[in-house]
Amino acid sequence: MKTKVIAIIIGTVVVVIVALIVLNQTVFTVDVTKQAIITQFGEYIRTIDEPGLNFKIPFIQAVNFFEKRILVSDAPPAEYLTLDKKRLVIDSYTRWRIINPLQFYKTVRNELGALARLDGIVFSELRTELAAHTFKEIIGAQREPIMETVAQRSSVIVSEFGIELIDVRIRRADLPSEVQDSVYARMVAERDRIAKLYRAEGEEKARIIRAEADKEAVIILADAYKVSKTLRGEGDAAATEIYAKAFEKDPEFYSFLRSLEAYEKFLLKGTTLVLGSDSELFKYLEGPEAEEPDKPKE
Amino acid sequence: MNLGSSEKRAVKRYKNRKDLELKGGTKVIIQRVKLPRILRIWGRGKIIGIAVGIVVVIWLLAPIYIVGPGEVGVVRQFGREVRQTSPGLNYHIPWPIQRADVVNMAQIRRAEIGFRTVEVQGKQSAHERVLAEALMLTGDENIADIQVLVQYRVKDASQFLFKVREPEKALWSATEVALRGVIGKNTIDDAMTVGRPLVEADTLLFLQRLLDDYQTGLHVVELKLLVVDPPDAVKDAFHEVVRALEDKERLVREAEGYAADLVPKARGDAEKEIKAAEAYMKERGLRAEGDAAKFLEVLEEYLKAPVVTRERLYLETIERVLADVEKFIIDPQVSGGNLLQFLPLTGIEPKEEVKE
Repeated sequence: MKTKVIAIIIGTVVVVIVALIVLNQTVFTVDVTKQAIITQFGEYIRTIDEPGLNFKIPFIQAVNFFEKRILVSDAPPAEYLTLDKKRLVIDSYTRWRIINPLQFYKTVRNELGALARLDGIVFSELRTELAAHTFKEIIGAQREPIMETVAQRSSVIVSEFGIELIDVRIRRADLPSEVQDSVYARMVAERDRIAKLYRAEGEEKARIIRAEADKEAVIILADAYKVSKTLRGEGDAAATEIYAKAFEKDPEFYSFLRSLEAYEKFLLKGTTLVLGSDSELFKYLEGPEAEEPDKPKE
Repeated sequence: MNLGSSEKRAVKRYKNRKDLELKGGTKVIIQRVKLPRILRIWGRGKIIGIAVGIVVVIWLLAPIYIVGPGEVGVVRQFGREVRQTSPGLNYHIPWPIQRADVVNMAQIRRAEIGFRTVEVQGKQSAHERVLAEALMLTGDENIADIQVLVQYRVKDASQFLFKVREPEKALWSATEVALRGVIGKNTIDDAMTVGRPLVEADTLLFLQRLLDDYQTGLHVVELKLLVVDPPDAVKDAFHEVVRALEDKERLVREAEGYAADLVPKARGDAEKEIKAAEAYMKERGLRAEGDAAKFLEVLEEYLKAPVVTRERLYLETIERVLADVEKFIIDPQVSGGNLLQFLPLTGIEPKEEVKE
């Protein structure tokens, strides 16, 4: 009884295991991210590039899976020489995918093999293309066209590996670290120049503004001078006319009056005046007799 | 009692089955008949049964999965995508037939280029620079220190899951490609100042184009240049330029200040001069008129009695004038007309009259 039961259990287990092995060898799933080729003793039978449940002859046929997604090859940065003999450290990556698994399997076997070949090809294409362009072009406007050319040329070569090359991109393009210091020195010099230029421009503007202001002030004052002199002249002219008109009536009397006025003005207190005693003023000092006014005293 | 009756029922059921499936094959019959007995005899068998049962239950329950808000479940059947499920409790046919992946579509993810946000002892996050990423060449062969924050989300779950290996890593590299490509076309001054929004927009466009090329299923929501700086080694020189710019502005302002001070004052002086001239003009005219009027008045009176008036006017004036003046009256017969012998005249007693 006991042995029978054990035999049954062992039998069941064996049967289940065998069944599973056979099932595993017969039925397989191809994921949406994968593709597969079926070989029979190494001989190619068919390619499966649609996802789903698939069957093969157990033990006789083998299945090899390949990635169907877009893959990346990120090669380590390398130094390249540009047309103008400058050195650039370029870090690029390549995006690719397997489109012909059979070809891929035959030529490079697996992803590792593919990466080795791909990197080599892209590297040499990149080297050729970069050597045909100047530093400035690579950094600036020509970067994309260069990438496209490299991708195009490489893609022709790698197509025989059953690989479709999607693109090659320069991720980083840097100067070697030894050169960086001289770039910094140049940048400093450039900034220095700009700083000096700004200050000089400031000085320039300031001087122009000051000169303009000085000029304006001088002109304003000169204008005022002109107006002022004209006005003063007019005033003098008008006064002269008025005086002339009035004094014309008796010039002699005017002369007399004006002289008196003038005496009063300039003979101030403290003035020393020496008079002759024979002056007209003192004609009565000697005696009270009337005299002829125009007859001088003896 | 209860046990007994239930056993009887079980036996009856097996007997009935046995009758029905006699043609099915001996193996089945043996199992059907023996198994309950084995279980009854050996408790160990029972345990195995329970274990198998548990495994089966787990196998059946494992496919229950929760799709949270903003998430999408993608179900594959034999490796082929069959449906996408919406938020809630979901179930798929157990492995190995179906499997499900849940992708968060609403979550805004971040990619940091040129820096990393790191937690410092569980406290607030700190900014850690990654110079290799941040330093890049500009179009005018300068080096700039740039930090970028990319915010993105998944826009196509099946592309995100199935089309490219490591789609988020692809985004990181693509961001560097796009950023350096765009910066390479700009000068450092542009990138640092006015060109900044343009650099952001161009980089975003370029990046999205690359992401679509690679079928990453990612959508860039926002790309922000957090920092666009000169490298540390030349920072001082750049600050110097800023200072120079300030100096320039200052010099101009100072000059403008000078002008602002000078010109109005000049205008004021000018106006003052003109006013003075106007005043002078008026004054001259009025005074002349006044003088003329006075003269005419006096003349009128004078003409009535010219000799007397003339004498009066003369004497009155002389009287006023000589009252205050220091006088020396000299007899010409004594002095011989020569006044020099009396010099110096000052120092002589003021009121003294020299008389013969």
